[in-house]
Amino acid sequence: MKEKFVVLQPWIGLVARLILGGVLFLAGFLKVDEPDKSQMAVRAYEMLPISIANLLGLVLPFVEVAIGALLILGSLTRFMAALGGFTMVIFIIAIAQAWARGLNIDCGCFGGGGTVAPGETKYLQEILRDLGLVFLAIYLIRYPLTKFSLDKNSTNKPSQEDVE
Amino acid sequence: MAQAKNSKGGKDNFTRNLVIAVVIGVVLIMLVPTILSKQTDTSAAVPSSVSVEDGYGMVFNKELQDVPFIEIYEDFQCPACARFEAIVGEYVEDLINTKKAKVAYHPLSFLGPESQLAANAAGCAADEGKFIQFHKLLYANQPSENSGAWSAGYFSTLSLGLGIQSKDFDKCIANNEYKGWVTNVANEGAKRNINSTPTVFINGKEIDRNTAYNSLGDFMLAVSKA
Repeated sequence: MKEKFVVLQPWIGLVARLILGGVLFLAGFLKVDEPDKSQMAVRAYEMLPISIANLLGLVLPFVEVAIGALLILGSLTRFMAALGGFTMVIFIIAIAQAWARGLNIDCGCFGGGGTVAPGETKYLQEILRDLGLVFLAIYLIRYPLTKFSLDKNSTNKPSQEDVE
Repeated sequence: MAQAKNSKGGKDNFTRNLVIAVVIGVVLIMLVPTILSKQTDTSAAVPSSVSVEDGYGMVFNKELQDVPFIEIYEDFQCPACARFEAIVGEYVEDLINTKKAKVAYHPLSFLGPESQLAANAAGCAADEGKFIQFHKLLYANQPSENSGAWSAGYFSTLSLGLGIQSKDFDKCIANNEYKGWVTNVANEGAKRNINSTPTVFINGKEIDRNTAYNSLGDFMLAVSKA
């Protein structure tokens, strides 16, 4: 059982990397050319002073694209997974506080965002999705060595799987 | 390729570091123009009847005192704005014509490029003294979002129906002459925490989202109370 996991572990890591990185990259990519909407989405959480929310709305999509791309490529996997997981935790907190305060907003995760009609909110789905991504991030922090990654194999032994 | 390098037990992380540098470099190169394009340019040309101190809004009856001040933040592509216009548009126009209210229109452009073009065209129409008419016409001919229907040629043709036949107008639309103004309107809206469209203030206070946006009666009540 344990040996099986040793074999599978880098492959699971690859899947985790591609899902977490893919979601981050896509989320950012859909927002980079819509800065007005992105700023609106951040403001709608009513957590930050307006000027800071506007700045974050401008910068965040680009940060997501960068983390996502580096995760997909497998560069600095552990660090990027930690960053990605951290942003997901922040998103969960932001969505949860919006829910608790009874705001009616779209999370704006993949573009869109801002105030929506009451009853059109999807807080639970959004939190569960982000929670799943946090688990993937934790896995990658624990097991950062993954298949097809640009990171140097720190164990320093030529890995058989690579040769085959 | 990278795999081959790794299995040789490469001493450095050259490929990886190069990739990191490239990704971060590309992202920064994209980020900088985005930030620059969002700067308010106070020297940008503004259409006539725009009031810089009222958040670059298109203001009617600016000189009136002691009347309600109605501020409308909208996006010409937003279906809810078209609905709102259908419900209260004529009444607001009436208030302007009978000098019973000061009204500011803020055409936002967060829904995308065609909102930007439409806002610019509305600015051009203002120079011809036809902002309100053009405004109404845009909502009456609202296509689905960024479908490609709204173009410079389309706006020029549309405005023929308003009796606008001016070279300047066509040039203003084709050259996107009020691009800077549209950005400034968007920035002021962002500073004012406008998180959905339409958003309407009467004397600085937002009207009730549950009632006054959907019913002429409630809207009239809100105006009369102001």
